Amino acid sequence: MKKSIIAIFALAALVSCRSLIEEWQPVVQIGDNVPPQETLYTDADIAAMPDFPGSFKTIRELKALRTSGPIKMGTGSANSNFWIKGQIVSEDRSGNIYREMYLQDATGAIDLKIGKSSLYSEYSLGQWIYVKCDGLTLGSYKDMPQLGLEADQTETNEYESSYIDLQTIINDHVFKGQKDTPVAPQTITEEDLKASLNFPANPGFNGVLWGKLVKLEGLVYKDEIFALLYPNPALPHKSGNPENRVFLSGNGTWGITTWALSAQHFREMTKDGAFNSAEVGSGAKRYGAGSVAKTPREILTGTSEAGRIAAFGADADMPYWAIMNKYATANYVSHYFSFGSTDVQVRSSGYSKFADDNLPDAIVNQHRPTDIIGILTIYEGKAQLSLVTAPDDATNPSVIVK
Amino acid sequence: MYKKVLLTIAAAALSFAMSAQDQPTGGVKGTVVNRNGRVPVENARLVLMQGAAQVAQAQSAQDGTFYIPALEDGMYTLVITAPDFLDTQVQVTVNDGYVKNMFFLSVSAIQHTADIDDDAFGSVDFDDSGYNDNPSILFGSNDVFNNIAGFNFSSVRFRSRAYSSESQDVYLAGVKLNDAVTGYGPFSLWSGLNEAMRSKDVTNGLESSDVGFGGYNGVTNIFGTASQMRKGLRGSVLTNSTLYRLRVMASYATGRMDNGWAFAANVSARLGGNDWIDGVYYRSLAYYLAADKVIDDANTVSLVFFGTPGERGAQNSSTQEVYDLMGDNMYNSNWGYQNGKVRNQRVRKTHEPIAFAKWDFTPSDTYSHSVTAMFRFGTNGYTALDWFDAQDPRPDYYRNLPSYFYGAVDGVYQGDLNRNNIVKYDEATWVWQHAADYPELTHLNWDRLYNVNRNQGGRSKYIQSSRHTDQLDFNLAYNFKLNPIRELTLTGGLNARINRTEYFQTVEDLLGGEYFLDVDNFADRDFAATPYKTQNDLDYYLANGTERKLNRGDKYGYDYYAQIRNFGGWINGQYTIGQLSVNAGLRLGYESFWREGLVRKGLFPGQADNAAMQALWDAQGIVATSETSLGKSNVARFFTYAGKLGLNYVIGGNMRVYANVGYFNDAPHFNQVFLSPRTRNSMMGDLKTVKTFASDVNWQYSGNGINVRATAYYTTIKDQSKVMSAYDDIQNAFSNFAISGIDQRHMGFELGFKVPTYFVPNLSVQGVVSIGEAIYTSTPKMVQTVDNSAAFVAYPVNNAGTWESNTTIPLTYWKETFVRDSEGNKQVLQKHYVPSTPQTAMSLGLAWSYNYWFVDADIEYFDRAYLDMSPLYRTDYASTGLDGNTSDQEVIYMTTQEKFRPAILFNASVGKSWYIKRKYQLGFSLSAKNLLNNKKVKTGGYEQTRIVDNTVNAERFYRFDSKYFYMSGFNYMLNVYFRF
Repeated sequence: MKKSIIAIFALAALVSCRSLIEEWQPVVQIGDNVPPQETLYTDADIAAMPDFPGSFKTIRELKALRTSGPIKMGTGSANSNFWIKGQIVSEDRSGNIYREMYLQDATGAIDLKIGKSSLYSEYSLGQWIYVKCDGLTLGSYKDMPQLGLEADQTETNEYESSYIDLQTIINDHVFKGQKDTPVAPQTITEEDLKASLNFPANPGFNGVLWGKLVKLEGLVYKDEIFALLYPNPALPHKSGNPENRVFLSGNGTWGITTWALSAQHFREMTKDGAFNSAEVGSGAKRYGAGSVAKTPREILTGTSEAGRIAAFGADADMPYWAIMNKYATANYVSHYFSFGSTDVQVRSSGYSKFADDNLPDAIVNQHRPTDIIGILTIYEGKAQLSLVTAPDDATNPSVIVK
Repeated sequence: MYKKVLLTIAAAALSFAMSAQDQPTGGVKGTVVNRNGRVPVENARLVLMQGAAQVAQAQSAQDGTFYIPALEDGMYTLVITAPDFLDTQVQVTVNDGYVKNMFFLSVSAIQHTADIDDDAFGSVDFDDSGYNDNPSILFGSNDVFNNIAGFNFSSVRFRSRAYSSESQDVYLAGVKLNDAVTGYGPFSLWSGLNEAMRSKDVTNGLESSDVGFGGYNGVTNIFGTASQMRKGLRGSVLTNSTLYRLRVMASYATGRMDNGWAFAANVSARLGGNDWIDGVYYRSLAYYLAADKVIDDANTVSLVFFGTPGERGAQNSSTQEVYDLMGDNMYNSNWGYQNGKVRNQRVRKTHEPIAFAKWDFTPSDTYSHSVTAMFRFGTNGYTALDWFDAQDPRPDYYRNLPSYFYGAVDGVYQGDLNRNNIVKYDEATWVWQHAADYPELTHLNWDRLYNVNRNQGGRSKYIQSSRHTDQLDFNLAYNFKLNPIRELTLTGGLNARINRTEYFQTVEDLLGGEYFLDVDNFADRDFAATPYKTQNDLDYYLANGTERKLNRGDKYGYDYYAQIRNFGGWINGQYTIGQLSVNAGLRLGYESFWREGLVRKGLFPGQADNAAMQALWDAQGIVATSETSLGKSNVARFFTYAGKLGLNYVIGGNMRVYANVGYFNDAPHFNQVFLSPRTRNSMMGDLKTVKTFASDVNWQYSGNGINVRATAYYTTIKDQSKVMSAYDDIQNAFSNFAISGIDQRHMGFELGFKVPTYFVPNLSVQGVVSIGEAIYTSTPKMVQTVDNSAAFVAYPVNNAGTWESNTTIPLTYWKETFVRDSEGNKQVLQKHYVPSTPQTAMSLGLAWSYNYWFVDADIEYFDRAYLDMSPLYRTDYASTGLDGNTSDQEVIYMTTQEKFRPAILFNASVGKSWYIKRKYQLGFSLSAKNLLNNKKVKTGGYEQTRIVDNTVNAERFYRFDSKYFYMSGFNYMLNVYFRF
C-alpha cells in the first residue's frame, strides 16, 4: 500500500508541476510579451537576399517588357530576376482606391494588385516597397498596366492578371521598406497627357504617366457624367447581358451633383425617378430611351429572351427603376472635365467616404478652373483621374478651386 | 371572543397531547453503510412507503444511523437514497409495536472519477449566431439511466430526449436559477465547488420536485447549505487531459454541532491546459462559505456565499476543409502566437458571486416551508477581437482557404463558382498543410495586429474587446410541504424574480495602440458620407463634435439592459390510495421583459427629447426615426400556466409503474424576441407563448441489487421563436433573422439497467439505451432585417407557383427536404431533426467492485446526430437561385440536413481506496475514455448563414461550408483524494 500511495503522490506532484508550467508560461495576458516593431527592409537587406540579382530594374523597364498579352515574370531570360522598388503614392483610406496600390519611381508607376483591403493600415504613403516580380504577371485592363498574379482561368474573366490576395504570396513578393516623405504630385500639362495617350501601340505601357500621382491644373467642369449601372448586380451584367446594364451618358449629369453614388443616395435617386429616361442595354442591343421606366418583361420581347426574363424572377414585372431601387448598391460616377482640349474623367467610387459629397458650386455652376490631384490611369484610351484623398480633406485636399 | 380563541387552542393542545399518547410504538432503525467496506453513509435519505404512500422519512446521522419512530404494525418499503449511491429499497415488517432493527443497510456506491459539471464541456461562445451550445447536464446519481448516461454520454454532448438545455429546471436552495435572459442552465456559477454542491435532489421528465413544479425535463435542486455538506476535511487533486491539467480542491464541514451551528467551506483551483485543444486553458478559482444555525426545533437559518472567479480560454469551430488541411479535427482558430507565446483571443472571464439566505420552518411533521432570498451579481465577459476598417484577422477566414481560389462542392470542381486560380489554390493548400512552417498564417497573428496599430498614429485598428452580460438577479422563493391527512401531500410555492442584465462591450486591450474610436464598423460601410449615422454614441458626438476616443476599460458599441420580471406560484398534490397514488399540479405565472437602451445610436436616434435637441438635430441634418436605440422599449407581457397529472402504481414494493402528462404554456425568452437588441428596441411582431404537451410512461424496478428503469415518452413543442444574426452576402450587410412558429415533436424510449451477473461475484452488467425521434414539424416564418436599416428585407416567395415579393418568408424546407413530381405531388426525401445530440445512444458495460476496488468498462454507440440548420438555406429563394427556376438538384443540395456518422467508443475506469487507521481515507480513481482514440466523432456544429451568390451562370446559390466540433481522442482523468 505504501508503494501505491507514494506512486499516487508522485504522479500528482508531476501533474502539478506540468500544470504550473503550462499555467504561467505560454498564456499571454494583457500587457505581457509585447511584440517588437516589425522589420522594415533596406536596400542592403534586399541585396543580401540570395535570389536578388544585384540591382533593381525600373518600373519603366518592367512595363517595357510588354509587347502583347500578359507576361508571366520569371519565365524567360528577359523577364527573370526582376526586382523593382518604388514608393507608395496611393492609399485606400478614403475608399476611392480599393485592393490595389500604386508604386512610383523616377521612371513611372505601376498598379500593384495586392488584393487586400484597408491597405493604408499596413502601408504608408511614401513608404518604399520592394517587389520581387518573378512569379507575378504583368497584365493589362482596358490599356492600364497592372502587376498581379496569373489570371483566373474562367471564361468570364476580363483581367489579364489577378489579385495577389494570398498572404503567403504577398510575403514572398512584396517587401516593406523604410518609410519616407510622401511623394509630391507631379504637375503635368496637357501636352504631357497627350504624349502618354498618343502612343499608337500599347499606350498604357509606353506612356510614362499612368499610375502616377499627378496634379492637373485648370480643369473645367463639362456638365457631363458617365456611369454604368447594373439593375440587379447579383445577376450577370457583363457585355453579354445588356438586359442588366444601364448607361448614364450623353445626357448631362442626370441630376447627379455628388462625386459618386452611395447605395443610400442611389436608392433615393431611383425612387425619385432620376434615371427613368435612361436606356437599358449596351453595345448593339439597346432597348430605347426611357426603358428604365419599363419592366424586363415589357422590353425583352424576343422569343430568345424568355430566359433573360426568367433570370429576373419575381422582379420581371417590376420597372427597372424599382429593381435598381431594390438592389441598390454603391455606384461609381465619372465626371467629365476639360483639360484644355482633352477630356479627363474624374472617377469616384460609390464606396468612397466622400461619395455623397456635392461637387462645389464653384466647379459645377461657376465653372471655375480647378486643380485636381489623383492617380492618373488610362481606360480604353481615355484618361481617368482617381482621387486619393477626399476632395476637401483638411490637410491634403485633392480638389482645389481657383 | 378571547375565551373562544383560548378554548380552541386548549382543545387543539389537548387533542395533540392525546394523539401523542395514542401514537404507535413501532419503528424502524439501523445503520446505512457502504456495501464496499461497511463504512457509514451520512446524510442518506430514508423514505418509508406503504404502497404508494409516503409514511415517514428520516436522514442518517454522521455514523450512518437512523431511527423512524411511531409506526403502525404493517409491511413497508424503505427507500434509501444518498449522493453517490444507487437507490436501494428494502422491505420492512413492523410487528407487535416493536422497533425493527435492520442493523446494516448497505448501499452500492457509484464509482466515478469526477462529477459531471460545467467543466466537462468545452467553452465556446457564438454570441448571437443562434447556435446554442449550452449543455444540459444529467445529474441524478440515484437514477440508473441518468447515472450512466450523465457520465458516459457527456463527451458527445448528449441531451436527454433531445430537449434543449433551457428545458432543464435547475434550482439552488429552492430557487430556480436558469438564466433569466436565455433560460440556459446556470451550472457555470458553481463550477469547481463539487463538494459544496454535491447534495442534490433530482427528478426526471415530468416529475415534480418538492421545490418546484418543474417542466418536462426534470428538476435538479442543489441544497447548497452548510449542514448538507459531508462532515470532515477533504482534499483532492485531479488531472485530466481534455480541459485543464490540474484541479486542487479542499473542503471542510463541521456538520451540525451541539450548539446548533454548522459551518462549511470549499475552495478549489483549476489550472493549466490540456492535451487536445491548443489555446484552451483554465485559470479559475472557486470559493464557498456557509453557515447554518438551528434556532429552535422549528427554525433553521442558513447563509451562503460563493463564487467562481476565473478565466478560461475558449475553442472555436472550423470547416472540415480546415481540419483536413491541418490534419487535426481539434484545430482551434482562436489562438495565435504573440511574440512567440500562445494567446487566445476568446477568453471567458467571470466572477458572479451568489449570496443567499434561507429560512427553514418545520413546526410539525405535517407542515414545513422554506423561504430563500438570493442575489447574484458580478461580471461575466467574453473577450473577442474587434476591428475597424481593417482586414479580417481570423486565420480560417474563408478568403484565406484554398477553396476560395478553386471552387468545388463535395470534391467536384464547380466552374460556376467562378473560383479558378490553381496557383493560389496550390499555394494556400501548401501553407495549411505545412502549418508548422507558417504559424503566422494558420493561427492568429498577434504581432501583425500590434504592428498595424502602431502604424496609425495612436489609433488602434484592432482591439480585444470584452462582451459583457452582467446580471443583477434577485430571487425570492417560498416553498411549502403539507400533509393535511396521511394520504395527501401538498407541495407548492411562490416565486418572484427581478433581473437586470446589462449587455455592453468594453475595450479590453488596445494591442499597442493608444485609443479606439466609438464608430459602428458596419454603418461606416454604408454611411461613411453621413458621419452621424456611424456613431455608436450620437449624443456624445453632438456634444463634442467628434467620435468618442476610447481607452482601456471604456464601454463602447452598445449598452442596454434586459429587464425581466417574473412572478408566479405553483401547487402540487399527491393523493394515495393503497398501491396507487395520483398527483396533480398547477402553475401560474406572469412574465414581462423589455429592453432599455443606454446610448443613442446614430442609425436609430429615435425622436428628439426636446426642442433644443430637435434644433441641434436639424442643424446637423439628423433625421428622426420611429425605431429608437435609447430608452425603454415596449414591454412584452405573458401570462403563463402549466398543469400536470401523474399516476403511480407500486407492485410488490420493488416495482412501480408510473405515467405523467403535462401541458405548459411558457413565455419566450428575451433573446428570442428582440430583433437586434444591440442596435434598437424593435421586437418580433405577434409574440406567442411556447406550448408544450409532454407525456411519459415508466416502469421501474429497484431491489436485490437490480436497478432498471424503462420509459416511453411523447412530447410536442409549438410556437417557439428564435433570433440569430450573421453576415448576409445577398444583402451585403450584417443581418438579423427572426424565426417564429418553430414546432417540434419528440418521442422515444429510454432504458437504464444495472443487474448483478450472479455467476461472478461483485460483477454487474449495466447499460442504457436511448432511442428517440426529435423532429421539426412546422413551416416557420422568418423576417430579416439588417442592422443598418429598420426595414424588413423582401425576398421572392414562391406562392403556389407564383413568385411574390414578401417580407415574411416561409422556411419552406425547414421541417423536411422534399421535391415535387411532374404532377406537383410532394415527395419527402428527408425529415429534419432537432440537432446537436445523438438520437440513438447506447451503452453496455461491466462493473466490478470488491474490497475498495472498482473496475468499469463499457462500449458506447451513438448515431443519428444532426447538424444545426441555417434558416436561410430553407427558403424558396436560397434553393432557387437568381434565375427563379427551382430544380430538384438545387433543393436537395441546399436543404438537406447533414447527419453525422455513427460512432463507437470504449471506456474504462478503475479506482481504489484505503482506510488508514479506520479514520482516514485515501483513494484514487482513473478514467480512460475513447480508448481506441477515435478522433472523428462530431459532437456538434452549424451551417453558416452565408451564401455564394456571385456565380458565373447565376442560376443557383452555393452554401458556405459548415463548421463542426469534434470530440477529443483518447483522454484520461485521474483523481486522488484524501478524506477524514
